[in-house]
Amino acid sequence: MTSIYLLTLRQLSGRWRLLIIALVSALPPLIALMTLYSSSALSVDDFETVVLGTLMAGAAAPLVVLAIAAAALGNEVEDRTLANLTLSPVPRSQIVTAKLLASITVAGPFIAASAFLTAWIAFLGDPTAALAVTVAAIVGVALYAAAFLWLGLVSGYAIGIGLLYIVLWEGFLAGFVSGVRLLSIRHYSIAVMHALDPRRFAAGPHVAPWAAAVISTLIFGGFVLLAVRRLRRMDVP
Amino acid sequence: MSGATVPETPAAEPIIRLDGVSRWYGSVVAVSDVSFDIRPGITGLLGPNGAGKSTLLRMMNGLAATSTGTITMFGEPVRDNPPLYRRIGVMAEHETVYDFMTGREFVLMMARLRTVARPAEAADRAIELVDLADAQHRRMGTYSRGMRQRMRLAATLVHEPEVLMLDEPLNGADPRQRVHFQQLLHRLAESGTTVVLSSHILEEVEQLAETVLLIVNGKLAASGGFRAIRAALDQRPYHVRVVSDAPRRLAAAVVGLDSVEAVTLDPDGAIVILSRNVRDLQIELPRLAQASRIGLRRVEPLDDSLESVFGYLVER
Repeated sequence: MTSIYLLTLRQLSGRWRLLIIALVSALPPLIALMTLYSSSALSVDDFETVVLGTLMAGAAAPLVVLAIAAAALGNEVEDRTLANLTLSPVPRSQIVTAKLLASITVAGPFIAASAFLTAWIAFLGDPTAALAVTVAAIVGVALYAAAFLWLGLVSGYAIGIGLLYIVLWEGFLAGFVSGVRLLSIRHYSIAVMHALDPRRFAAGPHVAPWAAAVISTLIFGGFVLLAVRRLRRMDVP
Repeated sequence: MSGATVPETPAAEPIIRLDGVSRWYGSVVAVSDVSFDIRPGITGLLGPNGAGKSTLLRMMNGLAATSTGTITMFGEPVRDNPPLYRRIGVMAEHETVYDFMTGREFVLMMARLRTVARPAEAADRAIELVDLADAQHRRMGTYSRGMRQRMRLAATLVHEPEVLMLDEPLNGADPRQRVHFQQLLHRLAESGTTVVLSSHILEEVEQLAETVLLIVNGKLAASGGFRAIRAALDQRPYHVRVVSDAPRRLAAAVVGLDSVEAVTLDPDGAIVILSRNVRDLQIELPRLAQASRIGLRRVEPLDDSLESVFGYLVER
């Protein structure tokens, strides 16, 4: 499994890919800085909704993870190198786990740093809030990674479908239809933030922490199992 | 076994067994009800492009599923059976390398993936075997096609598999590499490795394989030793078109030859000869023309493509 993990780290660490995700990850702290020094400063609630909820959890995190996780297995299918792995005596679950861990390893630090900086700047160095936002972002990265890893395996159009999902489902529907929040990774992430720092993030409608924990676990495990199942049943090119 | 079966000598227990295997994609049938056994030694899957050889190989190593039928190797199902892959080495037709890796890194990684006990030593041996020690520290993206092919072979051999499956392995190889490759395969077969390779080139399989499986239109057209297959191919009827300066006289004369079954006169003045013994015809026709003082302008086989040769075997 270590070999596959290290291989995937190298595959996902292309210069251009890292540059692009660094730029996307830099947006939330930059906007936090601009907001801080703007004459029309946002309230905590507005900041949570616009910067943390929409920009960080609903855009930067999923976009960065999409660029990484969808490629982890998707590029192997496209380049026809997946057979190198599937024709080795390695259980399919280990291939998926190694790919998932590598995706989180590459995307995680960018999003974690971005989330921490954003919260640190916005809440004037409040460590509890910064930690809550960072942990919530990492949970989001893990969930998005599981979903997009599977997507990269089942579709050659993973990036396009992933973008549609981010814009339509996470960005539009989950923002307006309350029921959809129960099936929104963005809102699980926000729920974690609320649970970890209820003092700072107490207001506003959000998914109950226990519900978020249960459904997140189910979604994470579900997508991992789906990817393993797909890898076992698909015709490897 | 479907298709024509030519006599073969009884051999060891089968390593791979296909039983009623078919594979279709939508309404397209790629492989149709194929059954055969593969025993130790070198077996060649021979057939024209698009005949279904690669699909068969991919089903035999578990990369693709069968639509119907079963495939077993060492008595175990090959599909979704990771422990079995420790015993198999597969080299696909298309290039499956990571350009950012050096050749050595690639072979070493494959050794580790296949849980080889001393991966570094195994990688050294495999790279030496394909004669690429000098280039092993270069990135594979800088290799020529032949070098990539050889490094892929090293990665395929690094865990010393009992069964080796190679899809069109000589594509991109220069003549020297071909000879080296052939010698290597023969050595491996002598040491007990079961080798299965596919090719659309008759001569390539003739030089390498002891047993041949002819695949045409997804069906097993014939199987057996190469000599028997070759003899079966030579017995097929050939159409030969002959342009001469006296077609009617030539037609009347060639009808008397033993090697000729029928003669027709084309509207454009050429004659078309149907022969089941084209080797004799090659000798007799010029002699006859010379004796009859008929000038031959053009002699051409009408159906000498590999597809038509194989097609004949399917129709039999």
